[in-house]
Amino acid sequence: MIAIQFVRKLLEWVPVAVFALMFIFLGIEAPTLFTPFTIDLMLKQAVPTVVVSLGLAVVIITGGDDVVSGGIDLSIPAAAIIAAAIIADQVTNHGTALPIALAFALLAAITVGALNAFLVVMIRMTPLLATLASSVAVVGITKMITQSKRINVTDPFIVFLRDGTVIGLSAGVVAAGLLTLIYWFLMHQTRWGMQAQATGGGREAADISGISTKRYQAISFLLAAFTGFLASMFVLARGSGSSPGTEENLLLEMVLATFLGAAFSPRRKVTVWGAALGAVLVAMLSVGFKSIGVNVFWTGCIKGALILIVVASAAATTRGRY
Amino acid sequence: MTPILDMAGISVTFPGVKALDKAMLTVLPGEVHGLVGENGAGKSTLIKVLAGVYAPDEGVVSLGDEKHISTLTPNLVHTAGVRFIHQELHLVPHFTVAESVFMGQEISGRFGLDKSTMNARTEDFLRETLNADISPRTLIRDLGTAERKLVQISRALIDGRATLVVFDEPTAPLASDEVDRLFAAIGGLKSKGIAMIYVSHYLREITHISDRVTVLRNGKAVKVFNEVSDQITDPMISAMVGREIAEMFPKKENTSNKKLFEARELSGMGFSQVNFDVAAGEVLGIAGLVGSGREELIDTIYGLLPVTSGSMTLKAEAYNPKRPAKAVKAGVALVPRDRRHDGLVLDQPVIDNINLASLEEVSTVLMEKRGVAKNRAEAMANQLDLRPRNVTMIPRLLSGGNQQKVVLGRWLAKGGDLFILDEPTVGVDVGAKVEIYALIRELAAQGSAVIVSSGDPLELLGLSDRIMVLQRGFLAASHDAKDVNVDSLVALTTGGSSGAIE
Repeated sequence: MIAIQFVRKLLEWVPVAVFALMFIFLGIEAPTLFTPFTIDLMLKQAVPTVVVSLGLAVVIITGGDDVVSGGIDLSIPAAAIIAAAIIADQVTNHGTALPIALAFALLAAITVGALNAFLVVMIRMTPLLATLASSVAVVGITKMITQSKRINVTDPFIVFLRDGTVIGLSAGVVAAGLLTLIYWFLMHQTRWGMQAQATGGGREAADISGISTKRYQAISFLLAAFTGFLASMFVLARGSGSSPGTEENLLLEMVLATFLGAAFSPRRKVTVWGAALGAVLVAMLSVGFKSIGVNVFWTGCIKGALILIVVASAAATTRGRY
Repeated sequence: MTPILDMAGISVTFPGVKALDKAMLTVLPGEVHGLVGENGAGKSTLIKVLAGVYAPDEGVVSLGDEKHISTLTPNLVHTAGVRFIHQELHLVPHFTVAESVFMGQEISGRFGLDKSTMNARTEDFLRETLNADISPRTLIRDLGTAERKLVQISRALIDGRATLVVFDEPTAPLASDEVDRLFAAIGGLKSKGIAMIYVSHYLREITHISDRVTVLRNGKAVKVFNEVSDQITDPMISAMVGREIAEMFPKKENTSNKKLFEARELSGMGFSQVNFDVAAGEVLGIAGLVGSGREELIDTIYGLLPVTSGSMTLKAEAYNPKRPAKAVKAGVALVPRDRRHDGLVLDQPVIDNINLASLEEVSTVLMEKRGVAKNRAEAMANQLDLRPRNVTMIPRLLSGGNQQKVVLGRWLAKGGDLFILDEPTVGVDVGAKVEIYALIRELAAQGSAVIVSSGDPLELLGLSDRIMVLQRGFLAASHDAKDVNVDSLVALTTGGSSGAIE
């Protein structure tokens, strides 16, 4: 039994160790990678992933971290790109004022969240399947809006998010930092957050403590969709517009970042700050691999393998009676 | 003295069953009131009426000064200061002690959660009221079972408004030294003047900590003991069972001495170096608490869990099944503890369930002989006294006792050398129990060896020829059933020759 516990403890550190090794490797291969300029670049690159990862963290915290039956929302990137597509289409093709375009985008993203909440809480579908289905549907609608074409955006606010600075830091990075702080406070420092955590930690335990778990789970999907809406602006800023296919990489990085964050938390649980940190690390890896000339397809392959490692080690450490 | 709780003439009817029949329960301020009765006697129904979960058909509940409350709701009961300590812990493993205690009732300051106040209040409550020294920052997953129980109690009582606490089998998962910690906590509550209802199967605990005891049987409060001492154990059991204990169980007629199954130095997941044997015609009882290795031992014999060392012999041949299918082939039959999940195809008619293990006898290569199958099932239903006697019914609609009869019927139809029965009468009413006991002895009389694993000492004593006791994975004792009684068996299972309580 002691041996099993030891192996389990060891497994908990596998993701951290793998990431540490990769950064050591990158540091040796590309010593210029960790200069202030490239770090700023990497942080900017990370912003959309950080924002959607906050949303996924909320859903997992509230729904539980069992990969199959717990909370998961694969549709946040889809919500982000449909919102981005709507903003780009409205602003560039129809000349709509940005605030109005944002309102349309918010409505679309929240609709996705409400659909997820309905499917999971009312219809009792598995979150994994429900959000996968809504993700596919939303991506389809997005393609209809954009006709699978790139739409440039030159709105000053979006450009400010890309190029502007606040107290010497990139505006986007500051905004993502603030957002992390807000979500962290909400989930980890308020009654609401504690009760959401209780809902995810043990549904029955929460129920008999008088917590309305269904409402918490429904709201978690709305909060996640809201991060999708917020991320849409950063997606537009990063890409100077809406371009097709952005959601794939965002999805991959979001899942990787959020579960990686759990490996860094003392309780080995998905947390808001862990997800944000995970997102930054994942973005650094992407930029790092690109800078030492690793093929883009290999980068995708490596990320996929990392997701497997992170999720498998999480599953292995929590698994089993024996 | 005005009672703090007075339940009078409470009746509850479920479809086809009168769960409570004019039951009564009176609890005086500051007393620990024991509530005992067999499974199905109505204890949990009575508690659920008090909790406001079930509305009684008739009867009156008076709580403190509030007289004649006819419609209890969970909120009303909570406001009146009644708290329930459920059997299940319902804790989140990665929460700290303080987070668990304040779950659903968190304290919030101007800058979010007030963690320091919650930590301090948790620590104080645990130390001063429950006599326990536990850091509020420890994670639940790093605590022992007794400490988790104390956390659960703290959660129910932290608001300081409790006047009556209901404990439902609080010691069931605890080892002996842990029981003492719980009793220390109960002592702390009592000194604060809080009244308690203590529901338990462990009669020794009941006589140890209760001031008064109410016995339920078949939905009625058959006896109230106003004076409690060790002397009332036997009258308590008689009142619970409703007849002399000897009458419940069939005669034991064990003649054979031929060893049929042997385990030598057997080790597996959760138990090690266990030696025992069972003869043809013999019923061997296995006693042990949850976590004693009892379940795992059974699963290993049946091939659900691997043997790590040692050996087994069945009919003088080496036996190591590895898979249940091989065990069945070798002549072993398992009546599992969770018959709803493991033992029955709930939505296939009784006829198919009875014939499931002996399909080859009622079918040719391609065809099932429905006529033969039906005749066999009907004969079996008669023999088992299945109610209703309709083999086309699906087991989901049968009562627990009748479901168990269907599982037993399947193995009776198949026959076998070694029968393993895991908790054969959990959730079964007394009448059906007596029939199941008779069936089990019948199996032995036909020349099979029978192993009965059970958490019910009375059942083991009445049914078995010999009883072996497991403790923390080791064989702690092995006795002829006639050499032990309920008290000494409970003492042996809970550890220490004199039991947990002294």
